[in-house]
Amino acid sequence: MLAASLVVADSLGRGFDRAAGAAGLADVIVRFDPEQASLVRQRIEALPDLAGFSLRQELSGVDLDAGQHSSSQASVEVLWPGRRGYAIVAGRDLQLGRPGEIVLERGLADAWGLRLNSLVSLGPLPALRVVGFAEAPDNVSFPLAVPRVYVSRSTAGLQSDPRVNLAQIWLRDPRYLDQVLVQARATSYGLRGLRYITRSGVRVLLDQAAGIVIDLLVALSLIALATAAVMLGASARAEVQRRLAAIGVRRAVGASRGHLALTQALEALLVAAPAATLGVLAGTLATYGPSTRLLTMLNEPPAGAALILPLAGAWLGAIAIPVLAAAWPAWRAAGRNPVALLRGAELSRQRQRQRQRQRQRQRPRQRPRSERSAHQAGLAGLGARLAASRRARLAATTLTLGCSAGFVLLMLALASALTSLETDPGALGKRYQLTALLPPAAAAHVRSIPGVQAVAPRYEEQAADSFALGETVDVIAYPGDHTVFEDPPLVSGRRLHGPGEAEVGAGLADALGLSPGSTLALQLPSGNELRLTVRGVVSSLQHDGRVAYVPAAALLRGDPAAPETLAIRAAPGADLNRIETALGPSAELAAGATARGVPLVQVLRAILRAVAIVDGLVCVYALIQTCALMVQERRRTIAVLRAFGGGPAAVGRLLTGSVLALLLPAALVGILLERLLLGPALGRLAAGYATLPLQAGATSIAAVVVGLAAAGAVAVAWVTRQATRERVVAGLGTG
Amino acid sequence: MPVLEARGVSKTLGTGRAALRVLDGVDLEVQAGEMVAILGRSGSGKSTLLHLLGALDRPDGGTIMLTGRELTRQSARTLARTRLRHIGFVFQAFHLIEELSGLENVLLPARLPGARRGAQRRAYELVERLGLTPISDRRPHELSGGEQQRFAIARALVNDPELVLADEPTGNLDQANGAAVLALLRGLSDRAIVLVTHEPEAAATADRVLHLTDGRLHADRLSTVKALRESA
Repeated sequence: MLAASLVVADSLGRGFDRAAGAAGLADVIVRFDPEQASLVRQRIEALPDLAGFSLRQELSGVDLDAGQHSSSQASVEVLWPGRRGYAIVAGRDLQLGRPGEIVLERGLADAWGLRLNSLVSLGPLPALRVVGFAEAPDNVSFPLAVPRVYVSRSTAGLQSDPRVNLAQIWLRDPRYLDQVLVQARATSYGLRGLRYITRSGVRVLLDQAAGIVIDLLVALSLIALATAAVMLGASARAEVQRRLAAIGVRRAVGASRGHLALTQALEALLVAAPAATLGVLAGTLATYGPSTRLLTMLNEPPAGAALILPLAGAWLGAIAIPVLAAAWPAWRAAGRNPVALLRGAELSRQRQRQRQRQRQRQRPRQRPRSERSAHQAGLAGLGARLAASRRARLAATTLTLGCSAGFVLLMLALASALTSLETDPGALGKRYQLTALLPPAAAAHVRSIPGVQAVAPRYEEQAADSFALGETVDVIAYPGDHTVFEDPPLVSGRRLHGPGEAEVGAGLADALGLSPGSTLALQLPSGNELRLTVRGVVSSLQHDGRVAYVPAAALLRGDPAAPETLAIRAAPGADLNRIETALGPSAELAAGATARGVPLVQVLRAILRAVAIVDGLVCVYALIQTCALMVQERRRTIAVLRAFGGGPAAVGRLLTGSVLALLLPAALVGILLERLLLGPALGRLAAGYATLPLQAGATSIAAVVVGLAAAGAVAVAWVTRQATRERVVAGLGTG
Repeated sequence: MPVLEARGVSKTLGTGRAALRVLDGVDLEVQAGEMVAILGRSGSGKSTLLHLLGALDRPDGGTIMLTGRELTRQSARTLARTRLRHIGFVFQAFHLIEELSGLENVLLPARLPGARRGAQRRAYELVERLGLTPISDRRPHELSGGEQQRFAIARALVNDPELVLADEPTGNLDQANGAAVLALLRGLSDRAIVLVTHEPEAAATADRVLHLTDGRLHADRLSTVKALRESA
């Protein structure tokens, strides 16, 4: 679990930084309407703190054909001389003077099974030879985005075309990014359709593409780390408990405390070292492949050698925890009276137990209970009492099992949440189910379609905060009450009512320090500024919570060309397919929170399943160990039971009672842990700007309870078999 | 027909060079209502013999019949059932379960699958008959040695066994309590009782005393209390 968690957390949590470093991602990427390269060059060279820049022509909607696979939506980057902003991960880069070559995104190559030297056709061009695969972290890869390829001007036949529509800018000191952006806006006269994106903006873009999947995975891994550490510690402690009599004997013959602790540590080391090695290898192998597939989709390189150090740390941790967990209780135990150890003491504080017994003896003798009330619940009840007599161990094992159960519940809740985030636009607060690329004038006609409850124009575009130009904002506008179509929960303040008011997402509010009453100033793509008063803060998953709802009139005043669609809300029970058919090809279902991250979600589910299975095995192991330990300590009790005629069934009932004494509180602990701690913690870690539905439902709880019961049954069956193999007289200690 | 009949029973403990033939052709018959004491030095094999007679272990050779059934050929499951319904054990160390009260310890065999009908009722009756009701809810560590052994005897009788086997029942008791326990055992009528002890005084309460020496049982010719004391 440690290794698996590290692989996932490191790969995904630091993947973007690795990719940006390897590719030399530009500090600012600017897109604009096609313009003369000389003009663009002049504008850029006027910027302060410039370390370098490169230009490109970006063409979209191009036909790409690779034999068995094709796309009519490919994006072609026609390269000019200068830095590339991508990393070549296989083959070589383009030689600009050599026509007939093409570089593909690695994700595209993997998805289509293309190799180096494959031939692909691009638009009207003759077949091009694939010379390299690239990773460009400024966007996610196919299939999360359109296929993207790189060619030279000579290959594209555009040597004489002086136009470009994309510039990459590198700064000497990225701390001056805001000042550079201000200057860029001031000197960009003559350039139309300007859209800036910075590194932080790219990261937000990637998050949007992948939904919140990455954040959830990383957060899950951190929780898995903590659970693994608890289990390792409890396991090592249980081992020392088993050895207490042996420790007593050694103390009786003169071994020192330090010697005993060191011996115990060394013995734990002998077991922990190979176990940790196997575990780290298994965890890494189980998760490296799926993580790498995820990273490929994100245009990020696999962690590779960067994982060696953290995995080595995990290996050392996986050894250190049980060694320390064995040495410390052994040290404490060795400080006790050797006779007490020989008589079967436990690791809990001896003084507490002595005081407890003293109090019991001093208590005034109670009247004997009635004979019927003394009739306790048979062998199972005895088993439960035997388990409960070792309170410290019962608590530790219950905690371990509870953590495991809580973790599995969390994974099941996560899987359900992903499903709803993936498919349910309501998770974003959306109350409309369809959009249509139709003008506002068509709203009346759409409203007349059977099953349509409400229609309104919806405007959405990306703006930048006037005071922090690196912060991109999704601006969404409706004429009238937007809550009819989008109703993310209100966190503070109130809904917007007037023309100069706005609601902002919690993510944006956190980033810009906004609250009800603050001023929101947005730089629109048109170059105009929009100033509104924030009236409310909402909980929204969209765009990492960097969203602003504004009145349509205000947005259109600032940018009359703001992109528009029709938002269509269906009546309850309406047939969406019929409405979609009636609307024609312009209609589209409203996207969920993970949007294009569907392949990511599928890979995540695979990882969740694998981790759930491992977790289940850990539960079985913990239960078997607990039962075996109890049988070891209660050897004489079980032998007496068998001496009086108790067969395997009787021993099984006894152990069942012990196991139930563990499982029932463990199930409760797991449910409460998931509901009160893990779910909210994961939700906060993953999306602090929204409320994520991460509570396990009744079905998941039932599944986990059944799973625990099954694990308990396996443990009881296994240990009963082992226990009844021993000769009865050996257990009595008389033979 | 004797309740218990052993013929040519042999048993070797240990393996290899440490192997020791502790029983070498033991013959024994015990009738219903008879109390037989087996005397022997420490390590003579008394407890081993008791374990074989009580179906806790299997002999290497010979046969053991209990109420006409041969124990040596029964499966482990059948032997467990035999112990449950036909044999009661009283141990030197009492072997009461610490987490259970005295009464609950007595009830333990009554709650095992296959226990005889009426076992629970017999348990309550035994506790009352042995004067243990006032202390029946106490845990073993709250009881004296004599009280613990009385609970152990009650436990041994819950399933109304034909055979009671007592392994040094007075070994951990003072003289007074030991005498009381022996009197209790002596008072069990209609049952075959085999008492293993190294104390001649304890053996003197039996109807018949046998010596276990060199792996075999020998009848003691001077089976009077005085003679036993003098020989000890």
